Amino acid sequence: MASAAATSAPLRLLSSSPLSRPLLSRPHLLILSRPVSFQRLAARSAASPTPSTSSSAPDPSPVDPAQLPPALRDIIALFQSVPDERTRYKQLLAYAARLPPMDPALKSDANRVRGCVSQVWVHAAPEAEAPGCVSFQADSDAQLTKGLAALLVLGLSGAPARDVAMVPVEFIELLGIRQSLSPSRNSGLLNMINLMKLKALEIAAGQEVTGGQEIRQERTETPAVEKEEPQFEAFGGQVHESSEAERPEEEEFEEEPAAVVEGNGSLGGGRKERIRDSLERGLSPVELKIEDISYQHSGHAGVAGSDGETHFNVRVVSKEFEGKSMLKRHRAVYDLLQDELKSGLHALSIDAKTPSEV
Amino acid sequence: SAKATDAYESARRKVANFINAADSREIIFTRNATEAINLVAYSWGLSNLKQGDEIILTVAEHHSAIVPWQFVSQKTGAVLKYVGLTKEEVPDIEQLKGLLSSKTKIVVVHHVSNVLGSMLPIEEVVSCANKVGAKVLVDACQSVPHMPVDVQKLGADFLVASSHKMCGPTGVGFLHGKFEILSSMEPFLGGGEMIADVFEDKSTYAEPPSRFEAGTPAIGEAIGLGVAIDYLSHFGMQRIHEYEKVLGSYLYESLLSVPNVRIYGPAPSASDHRAPLCSFNVENVHPTDIAEILDLQHGIAIRSGHHCAQILHRTLGINASARASLHFYNTKEEVDAFIHGLKATIDFLTSHH
Repeated sequence: MASAAATSAPLRLLSSSPLSRPLLSRPHLLILSRPVSFQRLAARSAASPTPSTSSSAPDPSPVDPAQLPPALRDIIALFQSVPDERTRYKQLLAYAARLPPMDPALKSDANRVRGCVSQVWVHAAPEAEAPGCVSFQADSDAQLTKGLAALLVLGLSGAPARDVAMVPVEFIELLGIRQSLSPSRNSGLLNMINLMKLKALEIAAGQEVTGGQEIRQERTETPAVEKEEPQFEAFGGQVHESSEAERPEEEEFEEEPAAVVEGNGSLGGGRKERIRDSLERGLSPVELKIEDISYQHSGHAGVAGSDGETHFNVRVVSKEFEGKSMLKRHRAVYDLLQDELKSGLHALSIDAKTPSEV
Repeated sequence: SAKATDAYESARRKVANFINAADSREIIFTRNATEAINLVAYSWGLSNLKQGDEIILTVAEHHSAIVPWQFVSQKTGAVLKYVGLTKEEVPDIEQLKGLLSSKTKIVVVHHVSNVLGSMLPIEEVVSCANKVGAKVLVDACQSVPHMPVDVQKLGADFLVASSHKMCGPTGVGFLHGKFEILSSMEPFLGGGEMIADVFEDKSTYAEPPSRFEAGTPAIGEAIGLGVAIDYLSHFGMQRIHEYEKVLGSYLYESLLSVPNVRIYGPAPSASDHRAPLCSFNVENVHPTDIAEILDLQHGIAIRSGHHCAQILHRTLGINASARASLHFYNTKEEVDAFIHGLKATIDFLTSHH
């Protein structure tokens, strides 16, 4: 190596060293035919409030805050009222500090959020005091990520598992922090939300035996379906381990007369007809299409012992759905099919539209 | 199109001159350094390695230098052996020498570490490897852009580097290989340009470098790399190297003055070379938090994560680190701004309690 400047030069010598003059002189011309100019990037500093803050109304987004769990609504309102980016970060850090510690035993691979640069874990469990509701725990070794996790935990814990499973991920927009987060942080946040929704879905499905309403995702969403498999086994397990309250339904289930399994179920136990009757009476649909897709699920432990007629696709077009959110439409369909749900109907994939939407 | 070919081949010659290759036919353009390493792994490794042969690497290698050899190991039964770090946090050259044996077929090492900032004595490694008949592949991504690199002096069999780290465009990198070795190697990708004659059941192949450049190349990108080399040569790599040595030391010393900071790799005085970069952690603060706040509140960009060196991070006992790195266009004032921003960021992240 050539005689270089002393690598351990004390700092005070540097004033007369090569550093006092940058290597590149300014203005700087490249040896090209055309000079290139450099543009200074302005720092996105917290000194100037960003335009997209509380003064402007939230972006016209398709998310209806009324659809969100109340605790989450409150948090969103809080973030929208924060005047500048720097304070928003402080708010996130404050949430991080508020998050109750997570049981180290729960920091497992199954609870690990993928796609995060830091380590993040999320755990969901049925809320002991509120049947049908879910509670979350989370932790991260990075504070900003922990703040985001805390926000989600505080916003979604205690809500019905079903509602959490259906929370539209676009609600992040309402927080007004998306542009404050790096792209990888944003995708980490999305992954966190999706994992929490998935876990809520599993918990909601686990309550299926009581005739609770299950949200069944389209088969084409393969990652979700792959995760759904264990829930059917859990379902099968629960038939045996269920509590007192569930027993009457359980017995009914086991006494279901063996039905001939047909591709379309039309010569079977008649469930398809009963569904049709109920929906026609309750919704006066202009279009109603019911398809028995139980054969797609015939391998599951959860449906072992039944003979088809467990899973249906339902497409219903009705004026009754006007003015109703997707959640309310699905509820309307489920409410009409309570008897079926109690007697072995496992899941419906519902396409609910008004005549004007078709 | 003749002009484009001229410019493309002229870029090849520029690369050859830049690293003092004996012949421009020893320069193969690839998409990046990663592809260059894969080329060696597939074209040389698969034909020359067998069950029980050994490949030596260090724990500080970039994933791109490790994973292709894992593929080769799975396919051939060759075994990977890793050299660890000394307590100064540099790869242990004595351990490397101890691992060399008649079973060693290739040694894959970095020239300068992208995390530790340390430099390896490549000539010494080559000399020891040659004694047991092993080849040497050098990952020079962090050295070529920062200092004069002379492949004939280093003596390695293969050397790779990457355009976008040396002021060039993304989408191009290169492999330098000794001509005799390249001539003995099987092709990598098959197709147009790399053939001599094509028959239905077989084909004959072109000489290097064409043999390893199938299909239409990244012409514009290679020409861009040539221009980048012109630009760097305008300053001279030695001058760049000396400036960066002083600036890099300044960065290191300044960073040390920040409380609770832990810098990885050797101190500048402990070795004769430390790259102008510092990978570091601040106690009780996550590096991704630091990087994010530095960026969004101070307009300063550093990297955080594992820097494509998970094995190294695990060896150091950490999950992630932050890394500030400099190139010849950075100034002392910018280092000062970084340190100032870092202190403010740490305050911000630790004061909310």
